[in-house]
Amino acid sequence: MDLFLKYVTLQDPNVRYVALATLLLGGVSGAVGSFNFLRKKTLVGETVAHSMLPGVLIAFLLSGVKNPYVLITGAAISGWLSILLVDYITQQSKIKGDSALAIVLSSFFGFGIVLLTVIQSNYGGEQSGLDHYIFGNAAAMTPEDSTAFAWVSGLVLILVLSFYHSIKSVVFNLEYADAIGINVKFIDGLISFITILSISVGIKAVGIVMMSALLIIPPTAARFWTNRLVRLLLLSGFFGALAGWLGAFVSYSQVSMPTGPWTIVIISLIAFISMLFAPKRGVIYQRWSKLLLKRRINEENLLKTAVQNEVRGLGKLFNRRSISQRQFFEQRLWNRTVRRLRRKGLIKKVHTGFTLSTEGRSYGAEIDRRHKIWEIYLQRRMQMSINLVHDEAETMEHFLTPEIEAEILGELGLCSRFNPLLEIHELVPDNLVNPV
Amino acid sequence: MDAFWIIITGFLVASSTGMLGNLLLLRRMSMMGDALSHAVLPGIVIAYLISGSRASVPLFLGAIIMGVVTTLLIQFFSSKGKMQADAAMGTVFTFLFAVGVILVTKYAGEADIDADCVLHGEIAFVPLQTSSFLGLGVPTPVWTLLILLGLVQLVFWVGYKGWLLTSFNGEYAKSIGIKTAIWHYTLMAATSVATVVSFESVGAILVIAFLVVPAATAYLITDNLKRMTLYILAQGLVSAVLGYFLSEWVGGSISGSMAVASFLLFAASFVWSKKSNKGDHITKRAKPH
Repeated sequence: MDLFLKYVTLQDPNVRYVALATLLLGGVSGAVGSFNFLRKKTLVGETVAHSMLPGVLIAFLLSGVKNPYVLITGAAISGWLSILLVDYITQQSKIKGDSALAIVLSSFFGFGIVLLTVIQSNYGGEQSGLDHYIFGNAAAMTPEDSTAFAWVSGLVLILVLSFYHSIKSVVFNLEYADAIGINVKFIDGLISFITILSISVGIKAVGIVMMSALLIIPPTAARFWTNRLVRLLLLSGFFGALAGWLGAFVSYSQVSMPTGPWTIVIISLIAFISMLFAPKRGVIYQRWSKLLLKRRINEENLLKTAVQNEVRGLGKLFNRRSISQRQFFEQRLWNRTVRRLRRKGLIKKVHTGFTLSTEGRSYGAEIDRRHKIWEIYLQRRMQMSINLVHDEAETMEHFLTPEIEAEILGELGLCSRFNPLLEIHELVPDNLVNPV
Repeated sequence: MDAFWIIITGFLVASSTGMLGNLLLLRRMSMMGDALSHAVLPGIVIAYLISGSRASVPLFLGAIIMGVVTTLLIQFFSSKGKMQADAAMGTVFTFLFAVGVILVTKYAGEADIDADCVLHGEIAFVPLQTSSFLGLGVPTPVWTLLILLGLVQLVFWVGYKGWLLTSFNGEYAKSIGIKTAIWHYTLMAATSVATVVSFESVGAILVIAFLVVPAATAYLITDNLKRMTLYILAQGLVSAVLGYFLSEWVGGSISGSMAVASFLLFAASFVWSKKSNKGDHITKRAKPH
């Protein structure tokens, strides 16, 4: 705990820069990644990050020094070329995006490996450390690195804010953006630019795979919580920053634990938790709401059938057999449904079977009514055959809301208290109509 | 003789991964090779920690199991978890890779293992381990790769009709009652095995390249699946030869050079297909309406 406090309050000068730098890096790449994520080009980061290797090495060969600014410039240039090449291949041939990404990734990285081996055999100690651009080395981060990250974050922030609306249109609907006169090519280039910028400054710290993970996973996690772009950007940036910051803490508190991989493990855990527990989009919520829906449908079917049996003069008493003649219930399903309905007070147990309570009867009658209204609607307005309407209505009866019901009745010219008592296809439909 | 065996190895890898890459390309899953190459790392490390040796068999098994787990996880996240397909792939493989790197660092002290050596096998070492056959020193990796090639060919040609249907028109295949999921998992399992087996002898980057580049080259020239496989084999052979001499010339990594050579062939077919397409385009336009 002490250690954690010391870390949080940034008292230890050794860790200050690393913590700040990873926090900024995670935040900025999380936000930048959102744009690629929404354009379904999530893996672009992976290709760009791999494609930077030859750029770094050529920059080293040309300059002869390991000046980080020179190497980063080289990285950015070759990253940019890789994006251009991917776009060129997909636009000019029938090769699809994913293949183009894989082709460019493997050829650039392969070329990089060739250069690296050549350099390693021809240069002595002066070349060591170049492979940090593959695997990363967060421990070697300097104050200048965190300053660089801060500059990049600021720049990305300014660019995103000043072109926010155009970017939004482009990531959500390219054709629309083009039609309303947004310079799509420019915005496209802008998104590529901020992607390359964040990868090229981050790659030396955390390595290729970790860098692309920082672009991929935060938006994936954030997407489970929101539908809005602003929130997605903020949340994604927040997740990225949180993971970077915690990742640096793990590497600070444990001996010889790498920052990058821990950052990724933490952000992945955030993504898994989001996938499971997020409201609305999470797996558990969806399973649960599906289960509730199934239960409701079974309950409604039972009540409806009981009401129909009453109307047909089959008596008020019902049991599994009498209901199953019209609506089949397995024994276990029957037991469960009946138990829930009794608990809700919608049906009552009498010695040889069950009867509907007043609330149960009106609920069942309401479902039956919706069923018939939908049948009439299908038949009159959709010109569907009378033989087909029943099956359709069997599903729709559970989903008609009072608002839709009112609208349908209005359209059919029926009064709102319209109440067909018997099934439509057992009578001539017109007999049922109460003129307004 | 070394040159011969290295080229043969490159060709064998190209032909088995290329055939599968062909199917991956048509299903828009070309990044799978890249994903698998990273994701199998924890499998290898865990297998190493359990078996306590660097013998190939346990490491193979670990990697192959992890490859299958990876594909299942990706499938699970995208279908059950409703993750965007490419995001699911990206999340799974980077996560597994990170776990692998953490394991490697954690046990680095007691284990002679690191991410570099696991993932970046080098084709130059292929001729070093040989076993005698008919008085000929045949490198062990060549035997392994030959068996792999046989298996891949078997899977490919036995299921040829199924591959054809499910690759070119998945929706149609589904509608006539073909169980596309089974084909999907067969392909994924085969890809895992093929990539893992190839990694050890040639390194990850060449496998990723050979999974997609020869197939893409062939795809630019023809739509016919049988002809595509033929072109893929030819592409692989030329890449292996060209790459070997390229590396001799510049004195760099052979695997990297083969990847570059493969890309050069792709570029050539790209230019060629653009030219011939342009011709079509003009004649179509010139026709009076």
